[in-house]
Amino acid sequence: MASTPQMSGVLPPTTKPAELEYGGDEVSALVLDPGTGTTRCGFAGEDTPKTCVPTSYGIVPDPEEQKYFGKLKIGENPINSVVEGMEIRNPMSEGIVENWEVATEIWRHCIEYRLSSRLEEHPLLVTEPIWNPLKKREKTTEIVFEDFNAPAYFLVKSAVCESFANSKPSALVVDMGHAYTSVTPVIDGIPLRKGSDRTTLAGQHLTNQLRHQFSEMGIRMAPWLTLKSKTTYTDLAAAPPLRTKDFGFQPHQSFLDLQQDRFIHEFKECVSETWPEAKTFPADINNLPDNFRGIADKAFEFPDGYQRRFGIDRFLAPESLFNPSVSPKAITGDLPKGIAEMIKDSIDHLDADIRANMLNNIVVVGGTSLLYRINERLNHELMTMYPGPRVKIHSPGQIPERKYSAWLGGSILASCGAFHQLWISKQEYDEVGANIIERRAK
Amino acid sequence: MVGPGFRDDHILLIAPGSKFTLAQLGLPESFTPAKLRFPTRMFPGLEEGQYLPNKVHELKEGEEMLLRNGEVMTAGPNGKPVKKRKVDSASKPSTTTQAAAGEAAKPTDGKGDTTMADAADDREENEDEGGDDDEEMNGTKEEGTNSKLFYEDDDDEEGAVWCLEQGRIANWEAFFALLLHIHETLNPTFHTPILMISQPCWTCTDKERICQFIFEKLKTPGFGMMDAAAAINAAYNVQHSLVIDVGYDKTDITALIDWNIQEVNRTTIPFGGNSMNKHLHKLLPDLTEEEIDQLKRSNICEILPHGVPIPGEEDIDKDEVLRPVEPTTIGMGGIAQPKALDEEGDEEEEEGVTNIAAIVASGKTQEYLAKKEKEKADKRAGLAAGEKRLPNYKREKNSFLYVEKVHDSVMEDGKTDHPTEILDGERMDVDVAPPTTEEPKPVEESSVTSGIDGPLPASSEEKQPEATKLDTESSKVAPDADPSKGGPSLMESMFSGTKDDDDAKRAQEKALRREEKKRQEAAQSGERRKEIEVGTERFKAAEGGILEAIADAAHRVVSSADNYNLRSECWNSVIIAGGGCRVKGFKDALLNTIVTKYQVSPSSGTIFTSELPSNIPTPSGTGTNTPQPSAFNSQQPNALLLQAAANNAALAAAGQHHLSIPQPNQGPTSIKIAKIPEYFPEWKDHGFDECMFLGAQLGAKIYFVTDQGANKGFVTRADYNSQGPQAIHNI
Repeated sequence: MASTPQMSGVLPPTTKPAELEYGGDEVSALVLDPGTGTTRCGFAGEDTPKTCVPTSYGIVPDPEEQKYFGKLKIGENPINSVVEGMEIRNPMSEGIVENWEVATEIWRHCIEYRLSSRLEEHPLLVTEPIWNPLKKREKTTEIVFEDFNAPAYFLVKSAVCESFANSKPSALVVDMGHAYTSVTPVIDGIPLRKGSDRTTLAGQHLTNQLRHQFSEMGIRMAPWLTLKSKTTYTDLAAAPPLRTKDFGFQPHQSFLDLQQDRFIHEFKECVSETWPEAKTFPADINNLPDNFRGIADKAFEFPDGYQRRFGIDRFLAPESLFNPSVSPKAITGDLPKGIAEMIKDSIDHLDADIRANMLNNIVVVGGTSLLYRINERLNHELMTMYPGPRVKIHSPGQIPERKYSAWLGGSILASCGAFHQLWISKQEYDEVGANIIERRAK
Repeated sequence: MVGPGFRDDHILLIAPGSKFTLAQLGLPESFTPAKLRFPTRMFPGLEEGQYLPNKVHELKEGEEMLLRNGEVMTAGPNGKPVKKRKVDSASKPSTTTQAAAGEAAKPTDGKGDTTMADAADDREENEDEGGDDDEEMNGTKEEGTNSKLFYEDDDDEEGAVWCLEQGRIANWEAFFALLLHIHETLNPTFHTPILMISQPCWTCTDKERICQFIFEKLKTPGFGMMDAAAAINAAYNVQHSLVIDVGYDKTDITALIDWNIQEVNRTTIPFGGNSMNKHLHKLLPDLTEEEIDQLKRSNICEILPHGVPIPGEEDIDKDEVLRPVEPTTIGMGGIAQPKALDEEGDEEEEEGVTNIAAIVASGKTQEYLAKKEKEKADKRAGLAAGEKRLPNYKREKNSFLYVEKVHDSVMEDGKTDHPTEILDGERMDVDVAPPTTEEPKPVEESSVTSGIDGPLPASSEEKQPEATKLDTESSKVAPDADPSKGGPSLMESMFSGTKDDDDAKRAQEKALRREEKKRQEAAQSGERRKEIEVGTERFKAAEGGILEAIADAAHRVVSSADNYNLRSECWNSVIIAGGGCRVKGFKDALLNTIVTKYQVSPSSGTIFTSELPSNIPTPSGTGTNTPQPSAFNSQQPNALLLQAAANNAALAAAGQHHLSIPQPNQGPTSIKIAKIPEYFPEWKDHGFDECMFLGAQLGAKIYFVTDQGANKGFVTRADYNSQGPQAIHNI
């Protein structure tokens, strides 16, 4: 396979291809975008990642297993099957890898599962959040070269990728992800640490708020996998017994939570809505003023067959992203700033001369930005905060482009010709060690 | 780059599967099911790294080998077999079919040389379920040069290397050897482009590797790959679909939107036809794997529709029947002679008792007793079996004929197929039918015809009405009569019950005579078969979680599709294909599982909103089934308009850039099976389980003939020369 006919004219004629330098056209580079919710991977130059696997993994305790004291279950199907004692965990913490051994396995699975069985042939581009500390960056480098044996590698800040994916060299990138909503100013492709910030008001927060809200309402959140079939509800007060499946064991709570997340996710997609204006959300939703504008009810059917109409209460959880004090489930500790506040703080930290540029180029991406009308709200908030300069929000109109924005930017970067000189080769790593990443990619 | 003009009859199609690889050279005028099927396995050859299509026994001079048919072959001097029969010394391809064998050599031998033409003409006989092992081949003897005898034993599967595992290529060398073997077998011209169906789980590097092999070893001028799901979708010709391809060890689930595969979300789960085998084996530990497999493929094994109780068991969940199915629409193939449940035999006794308990509980004691009385009377009167046969789904026990695979080649087809003495003995034990009454046998035949030997006539015809949602009762008559294709006498005997006694007797005598003859022949060739009786376990093949697993994965696949509005379209054309779904009732059971668990009742979904753009909030359904027109605050007389205006204002304020992506409605609110295309007559008889191959033919026609490479439907030699194996990704 090594002796494949090669495409000529990829490199500028003046540049002699280094021994381990690979062009996107010869052997496709891989782009890996690890997140807390999902890990995305695909070939550079394509417009969507080929694989998107949950970063959560299952572990079935087994004292015999030396390495993890249990059997790992990685991938979409294994973690969605009912296995006795299987606990769902996540190798990420604060948006960065905590458990390296498992994360490596997940990455490997993500790549080998459908992309390539020969990791050692593909240069690998990995994205990282801006708050990734040096230790972790070095560790990533080590894994890519030692475990994956990649010929070349580079680490890019996801905010940079996102601004590239929206064809903006300079932008204020607002990434609403699973675990974090982050804001990062990017100037000419360079992310600024000053002015960047993050908050946990993101997808996971929403899910937890909704879970709490549902249980307050007395809804039995039995997920699909534990049910035999739906129950015929007449009213919630006299709910009939659930038709649960008998597995002969009780699935682990973390597994049940993961399964609940599935219909909560559906709820977020179909029913949740963001209040489109700043500061007009009714303070007490149980006691609406008489002149309150009408709200369309939306009904939702839970997996057990229970249906319920949601009115103003379907706005509550998204509202807590902007105004954490209304969270159905009280936030412990210090009350975080709302998303709009955080963006304002970030902008205020910037030098005055780039503020206007940033305000005019706000890029909103990430899965949580798909929440219905959240961008309208954001727009409204920012316009109220900055009545003077023109505030402009840019957000891709296609769902995949929002969800996989960071990956897409990485794909564009890794496939563009000028990127060739940035790859860190295995040779360089062998000479310098893991610290090469700090020298070559700040 | 415009490729060379390819001719229809030059195109080679290859569709590798876990158990069988389908292949065909040339596109016929009217698309047909695959002409050839090769077992997807090879045998290690005599040399390291060499693979042969058949198991080869090496015999040194004087060595003896016991052949499966009980004869002993001795290697004579110079590698000549001592017992030399009809020998084809050339290494013939191994796709001989049962019928070919039956015609070429009468059972005394059990071996016959065949040509590819035979095999090609006779696809019917090979239409066994995709997951079976007993592909029939004939042995050929090769005369060795240095006083060794090489005997190719086609029945021996020992040491076989299966090329694919759960769709993945497990052994590349063997896989390439298989491709080479197929290529040599078909011996296409130099102008033959190749279209291969790719398994969803093949990685990009896998595809490159195959592409390289095809160009460098097979020297084809053009090579294309078509994804299995895309091929299935193409066969059904639907724009959006959810393709569930039930294989042997895996099921691929893919959503297609606008003909495009939703690559990110597609999934492959490790459940397939074999999981049903395993589950049955758990339930029936006494049976061998081979017996289980035949049981699964026999027509007494079925998955009962929701609401039809398993005989002898109480139907607990009666209230949740969503789509009651008329009992007459099921169990078509399961007609066989009734068995008295509570007579003779201790085991029988026990079963009978529980059954009676159930009957008493169901309050139908009177009816039951009356029926029993009638049965007895019938038997005494020697009436034909037709009148008293019970459909399979009502019988607590039923039996199927297990044919030991060595002897499959002996059986010609269903009509020659007959129980032997063992069977008779058993029947006398379990049945009260007097020995003189032989009518049941012809009925048994029908089950053999459709279940074991050539499931084609019955099962395929049957699938179709099932898939088209059991539209009419009358359409069911067709499959019923279908096994009669096995032979005219069979038909007679099938319906003998409804004719007068004379007819029945004549048919019976005929059957007896023929049977006698066959029995002798069978005895000569050492043929052995037995009737295996199984209880209600035969209805539980899919209870090992396969339906739930597929349903859940399907839900995940569609729910993660990145086009909100077209998700419901996918649900509206669900395609269930693949060999694993041939178990009777499987498709309906699967659809029912999906519907009962995941379908959202319309009240909460789209009925009020579907007409309007979904970004305008509109009144939606209520928790109860009653629409409530005043979903808006009544103080605003025209709330809808106001909302729309507010939306527009917000949008205008936001400018041109996309802010909000319209919100979807909760779904699915309806789930339907895609309609089977009607304009492929050959496929109608064959059944649409392998419609992937139809899609491949359509694809090949478009890529190679109509399009001629204008849209880069395949890799040309020139592309390959300039881009290398990666060229496969650019199509």
